[in-house]
Amino acid sequence: MVEKGDKNFSSDKGKTASKLAASKEESLKGKDSAPVNKTRHIQVDSSDSEYEGFVDERSPASAKASGKASSDLKSGKKKVSFESLKTGRKTSFETPAAKGDWGKGGKDFNAGKAGGKGSLPQATAVKPRLTEIELKLELELPKNARLLMDCEAAEILQEIEEHKTILSEDPKVKFPESFNKVLQYTKFGGHYINSQSARKVLETLKINGVNDGEICMIGNICPETVEEVYALLPSLKANKHKNEGPIREVLASLAKVKSSK
Amino acid sequence: MFFHITLERNMQLHPRHFGPHLREKLVAKLMKDVEGTCSGRHGFVVAITNVEDIGKGLIREGTGFVTFPVKYQCVAFRPFKGEILEAVVTMVNKMGFFAEAGPVQIFVSNHLIPDDMEFQSGDMPNYTTSDGSVKIQKDSEVRLKIIGTRVDATEIFCIGTIKDDFLGVINDPGAAS
Repeated sequence: MVEKGDKNFSSDKGKTASKLAASKEESLKGKDSAPVNKTRHIQVDSSDSEYEGFVDERSPASAKASGKASSDLKSGKKKVSFESLKTGRKTSFETPAAKGDWGKGGKDFNAGKAGGKGSLPQATAVKPRLTEIELKLELELPKNARLLMDCEAAEILQEIEEHKTILSEDPKVKFPESFNKVLQYTKFGGHYINSQSARKVLETLKINGVNDGEICMIGNICPETVEEVYALLPSLKANKHKNEGPIREVLASLAKVKSSK
Repeated sequence: MFFHITLERNMQLHPRHFGPHLREKLVAKLMKDVEGTCSGRHGFVVAITNVEDIGKGLIREGTGFVTFPVKYQCVAFRPFKGEILEAVVTMVNKMGFFAEAGPVQIFVSNHLIPDDMEFQSGDMPNYTTSDGSVKIQKDSEVRLKIIGTRVDATEIFCIGTIKDDFLGVINDPGAAS
């Protein structure tokens, strides 16, 4: 994972360099025919950064307006990041030439930067951010929603099941199929002796900036090592220096309340 | 992930149910109507845990039905993108495999299965590593990561991946996990 990120990063770097070259060309052309703003994107073809420029032009306008576009981007994420790797390789060929332009391009650097906001570097950034966003998203669910760990849900559902079997002498009253499925699922995920002790342990992570969703996931996954936590919950990596110690402690205490299955 | 949530719903009740057991009737109807349903926002409504409040009924003109606003709490289950789930494999084919986590169906495409696992056909189709140490077949338990969801009227479908660290088979007896 980290390796990948590194790669993307370096490819980004290479790209900005190549973009500098490209934007330089652009600006030269721009001097010749200043008002022709749109066509310049088409004029300089063959270079990858131009493709970016095109997407860039589209994205700020449309991404917000249509969720579809952004979801397209997301779904196309895999492809895009692959492409970025490819372009990364390509640009690395180009860099020596591009490097020469580094010093000169004072103004052009800005232009290059603006182009740099194009979709490819963004798309690579989207990948690690995606899980973060989604985890936050669930917290944006209605205010009155409270996340439950699997084991907590299991306790509630078991209670309901007992309750219902007593209540319904009527054989006509049956549980929907999904209820049984869920009940089975929660039993299968039951890692702890009781959910309260697990919750109490995990709750201590809250003061270290770990959000409810992440706490809940740690509780459900029942990880053994800190590495496992970071691999499965990449959003936690951002505050690694702050939360690594507490997470380590929590995992140790969690191990104590684990049921021997 | 499970969550506990308070929801509201307008229940329509036929006048024949009016009487001393009106509340019970309403609650029973609510359970029948709501439990097991699925919405994009809340996912599956698994079970109602509490009926908080039943408001004043309003007679609908023309039909005689009465609408009651009902406030209730329930346990809901919804998979989120980026979530890690443990699921049971239900079907394996050359396109990938299907797994089930509670009521949720998850498909893991063969592109999202580690490259060193290959499809083996036969009466028990499976994905196996070249050294045979890890095998995914029907009834295997896998840990996977949700990367996409689609919500239907009655079902939630997910796309998952096991092509990452700490994902994959968790129970296979032959696996060196």
